[in-house]
Amino acid sequence: MGVTVLQQYPVPENRNGTYVIELLTKRMLALGATQQGQFLVDCESYLSHPQMGTTKTVHILHNSEQPASVFSILESGTKNIHVIADGLFDLLMMKLSQHYTSKKQTKIESKGPRFELGDFCVKLGSVTMNQNFKGILIEVEYRPCVMANAVWGLLREFLQGLLGPTVTIQPPQHLLSRMNEIYTPIDTIYQYLEHFSAYRKTTGMRP
Amino acid sequence: MANSVNISIEAPIENQIQEITYDGQEIYQAPLSMSENLARLAQKIDFSKSEDEYCNIKKEGESSSDPKPDDDSKDAGYQSNQWPWESVRNKLRNALTEVCVLADVLNIAKEKRYMVLDPVQPEQADNRPMVQVYGRKKALGAAAAVLLAGVERLRASETMRVSRNMPDFHIDLLRLRQNWRLKKVSNTIVGDLSYRTAGSKFSQTGVFEVTKAPEEQMMAAMSMNAAGPAPSALRVTVPPELQGVAFISVLCQKEQEDVVTATLSSSALNCPGTLPGDGAELHWQQKLEAAQNVLFCKELFARLAAEAVQLDASIPHMVVGNQIMATVLPGIQLLIGLCHNNGQNNTNNGPEGVKPEGAAGKSDHDHVLEHSLHQLLRAVHHANTHYPFPHPATGPLGPSKRRCLAGPMAADRYELLEMSKEQSLLEQIIQQAQHFFMRRRSEYVLDTIAKEVKDPLIVSHWNALNSPTQSCVKINIMAYGYDVVCRTSLVVHVGEKTLKCICRDGKVRHLSYELQELRDLIYCQIYQHQMTAVQAVGRCMGWQLLASSAHLGSGPVEPLGNASSCLLASPNGDRMIAIRCEPSVGIQVFIAQSPRKDFFSSELVQDKKWENLGGAFKEIKLDKMEGKNFLNKMELLMACLSSPS
Repeated sequence: MGVTVLQQYPVPENRNGTYVIELLTKRMLALGATQQGQFLVDCESYLSHPQMGTTKTVHILHNSEQPASVFSILESGTKNIHVIADGLFDLLMMKLSQHYTSKKQTKIESKGPRFELGDFCVKLGSVTMNQNFKGILIEVEYRPCVMANAVWGLLREFLQGLLGPTVTIQPPQHLLSRMNEIYTPIDTIYQYLEHFSAYRKTTGMRP
Repeated sequence: MANSVNISIEAPIENQIQEITYDGQEIYQAPLSMSENLARLAQKIDFSKSEDEYCNIKKEGESSSDPKPDDDSKDAGYQSNQWPWESVRNKLRNALTEVCVLADVLNIAKEKRYMVLDPVQPEQADNRPMVQVYGRKKALGAAAAVLLAGVERLRASETMRVSRNMPDFHIDLLRLRQNWRLKKVSNTIVGDLSYRTAGSKFSQTGVFEVTKAPEEQMMAAMSMNAAGPAPSALRVTVPPELQGVAFISVLCQKEQEDVVTATLSSSALNCPGTLPGDGAELHWQQKLEAAQNVLFCKELFARLAAEAVQLDASIPHMVVGNQIMATVLPGIQLLIGLCHNNGQNNTNNGPEGVKPEGAAGKSDHDHVLEHSLHQLLRAVHHANTHYPFPHPATGPLGPSKRRCLAGPMAADRYELLEMSKEQSLLEQIIQQAQHFFMRRRSEYVLDTIAKEVKDPLIVSHWNALNSPTQSCVKINIMAYGYDVVCRTSLVVHVGEKTLKCICRDGKVRHLSYELQELRDLIYCQIYQHQMTAVQAVGRCMGWQLLASSAHLGSGPVEPLGNASSCLLASPNGDRMIAIRCEPSVGIQVFIAQSPRKDFFSSELVQDKKWENLGGAFKEIKLDKMEGKNFLNKMELLMACLSSPS
């Protein structure tokens, strides 16, 4: 488990997502990376029933990198509370369907090929919400290190090289306060949630 | 047919009770399936008999009814004999006709216009009281005679049991019940000796039957050995496939020329005859234990054979007949055979032809590995029934604790893959066999080196506590009398296929299963020890170390290691000792002296001062010197050279 940075890649005008994915795949293969299957990160959001007081949102996320786990993040005003559980949590949410109703039309996921290049693991994900293409998310993980601060420069350089000079690379919002802490899988999930929320707010493709 | 009657047919709801547990809970047998039930019912119908009886009843009952339809139905019944429900349907149809007729008659009788029902005068009862009394007396007398006869038989058997010390069937049954699982199925007592309840998942059943031994046999047995233990009143019948003796033979052998010889010896795998006193009737406890052991061995072997086929080793494992062959180390094979000697095969398995081979195999039989195999399967059984704690009420039962935590700890796919890996029994036993060989070979190498090399001494301490796949030996190299001055110790971890040597300087060397490597390493360590020891002795004697090199570049190339050397100077600096140590040659010692005694001024070197330069080194014949060992000799030499003479 290393440090992961999630980066949004702008889709050029009058191009579609598959073009970008193919372009980036070619670049990865040219770098000497090997494809290691596919990956999938999905997110489903549940709204609490109005009778329970103020409405709260629970996001349920799955990451194919941690296949046995279910990540849930409860948005309650200012603070986010996360719980990592095993697969039975999905069944529990079904039991709670009286109190938490699923917003089916906002089910969003990012999936695509997964590459390994030395210590790096790169995932090129196309984000779709209800089969509507929304954009491209690129996840880069540097596995030997668990401190974001120590590896940020390396990751930025790698991303810059991969994505080209047109993309500005900024540290993810979520990581800014946690640069000196040990990176855990839930940090990846928070980054995905940030981007997914942004995708949900925008209509059409995100620039 | 005006008022038709609905008849419903259904099987009784209750299933048969299979077992009643101690707390009164009833365990039901699974209900029969439709086809099984149909077959069972069809078996019960006796076509000819039922038809005949039915006809008889008909003929006796109503003479007015026409016999012709009966014949028709009978013919129809015979024609469609293959359909088992035919006769049942006919009977039902006839019953329906009769019931309809009865209903019609009752209807007619109720109207009282065409038919009136008169009560039938009952027959006049015989009112003579004496006849009744006699009749009852006779009946009571007959009943009493039956009871008395029964009492008489019970008393007789009881007195016989007490007087002749005959065993009691029920007491024996109680003892059997205390140790074995029994249940009553209709009229027979059936037991189960399989390891199901202990967690086994082997498909073969271990059902045995308990009957009462006939009294004549018991009498005969008692008369034969009056002094021995009393024969049991129980007789236990074990299925033929579980009779006799079985064991798993584990053999480690050097690779043979071809497979044929190996299989030949496999057929001759030794079976130790039969149980002691096989001819006589065994006690049920021994008999059941033997049968249980047979079942266990069969399960073990079946499991190993399945694993041998599934595993894809570099050298594939072979399963031939009742034998599994696996390669442990190059040239060494592990043979696991199932030896089962039940009474029937004894004559076929003629002991005369195969005895010598069997005897040869017997000596190689590895009891430790056999025991390990038993232990491994028992561990599997235990794991099948004992799930790791905690048992969450909602979670699945069975996965390990690590797997339970994998979700909440967000384990990634590599960790999950690691968790799902399980070592099979065969792999584990092969590892144990490999370790066994490695340990034995290392022991052999260390012992031979200790025998070959007398100076310095090589002492190896084996740790008494070790795991089945790892052990540890500490090797001390020291010279007699100088063990305080210098000792070299190294630790060797003996693994499954590799050795790990941790040397004195902290260097870790991994060696393969080729033991020449260990041998070379120990030899290098010995010479290294000599060099360090002589320097330590020199320090004690006040000599000064001028130079030392563990890896000399000069001289011929050594086959193993490098030559090393050191140079020592006496306390007042006029003598020098040079020691050169080559593993292939041995240790050479040279001395030099300054001022040199053989200095003569020549034309070139005339000045006297040049005699202070060290002269030529002269070799010392170590084997001619006095002293117990090399260090002792060196000490004497240094003492001698230090003297001011």
